[in-house]
Amino acid sequence: MLEVHGLKKRYGRKKPILEGVSFSVRPDSITCLIGLNGEGKSTILKAIMGLVPVDAGTVLVDGEVSREKIAFVPDLQTMPGYMTIGDALLYMSDYYPDWNPKVAEELMGLFKLLTTDKILELSKGNQAKFSLVLGFALDRPYLLLDEPFAGIDLFTKEQIAWIFSSHYMEGRGILMTTHEIIEIEHLIDRVVFLQDGRIIDEHDTEEMREVYGKSVQDRMREVYQR
Amino acid sequence: MQFDQRSPVYLQVVRWFKEQIATEELKCGQEIPSRREIAAQLGINPNTAQKAYKEMEDQHLITTERNVPSKITMDQEVVKKVRTEMLDEAVAQFIEAVQAIQIPLGEVVTKVETMYQSTERRKIDA
Repeated sequence: MLEVHGLKKRYGRKKPILEGVSFSVRPDSITCLIGLNGEGKSTILKAIMGLVPVDAGTVLVDGEVSREKIAFVPDLQTMPGYMTIGDALLYMSDYYPDWNPKVAEELMGLFKLLTTDKILELSKGNQAKFSLVLGFALDRPYLLLDEPFAGIDLFTKEQIAWIFSSHYMEGRGILMTTHEIIEIEHLIDRVVFLQDGRIIDEHDTEEMREVYGKSVQDRMREVYQR
Repeated sequence: MQFDQRSPVYLQVVRWFKEQIATEELKCGQEIPSRREIAAQLGINPNTAQKAYKEMEDQHLITTERNVPSKITMDQEVVKKVRTEMLDEAVAQFIEAVQAIQIPLGEVVTKVETMYQSTERRKIDA
């Protein structure tokens, strides 16, 4: 279990962006952190990884304060312009002892990505695919994905969504952020709604459908339009 | 497979199997794909596939023994029950729809017979 307890964060003198965020991600399941733009979803992922300092809060991974079991793919836009996919894969395998070259190679093939392509020149869809290659090829029990479906067309979405129903999910707990859930609802185990720096609602998706007859989209409307 | 996002996905998967059992596309004793395979095939979450198979085991639609693929039940009674259940469900929905527009039973039955036969004929012609 990946547990986030009481995360608080304020940038400068502004209103705090996180006002005590707590939730957890079960192993072998997909948890979706939902919030509108600017609610601090990415800040939460970065805070979990220790990439931004927080004012309060702890993150426990299977009961320990350690990030070695979490994989996180940074925004590809921060990579140097000359870097090709091949360069990045080499870097990963040099840097991370738990890099799995076999998975990387398989996914590269399945997504039809070329090692000679420059990362910054990739289409949105191919960037999204390459991010997944980087995340899934790290043999770690937890994977954080920031907006894996943002800005890509329906067909690419379907190609990508496939990975979440595949054997690559085995032994992996996933936390993904999103501001829109259409087309991927049936892939998600649990949804956590973030608003005004707090978790205001959370549900198992199947339970929400079975008990309340509601889709995640329905619940999103109720939560964010009230 | 397209899913209704307002009803549980695992029950939609169970229903998908029931339809195939009722039409004997899946025959008694036939092996079915593993949970992993069905998740990938239908594009659903592996946990949902797991839950659907558990539900089918509970309803005695499939049998699972250790280390061998799950199979459709050999029990003909279960298959009969599935057919009856699906027919009841469809007819109940239909009755609700015709009652809502207050059509008398006699008229409904005549209409069902003629339309049923003409769609069958059309299927054969096609």
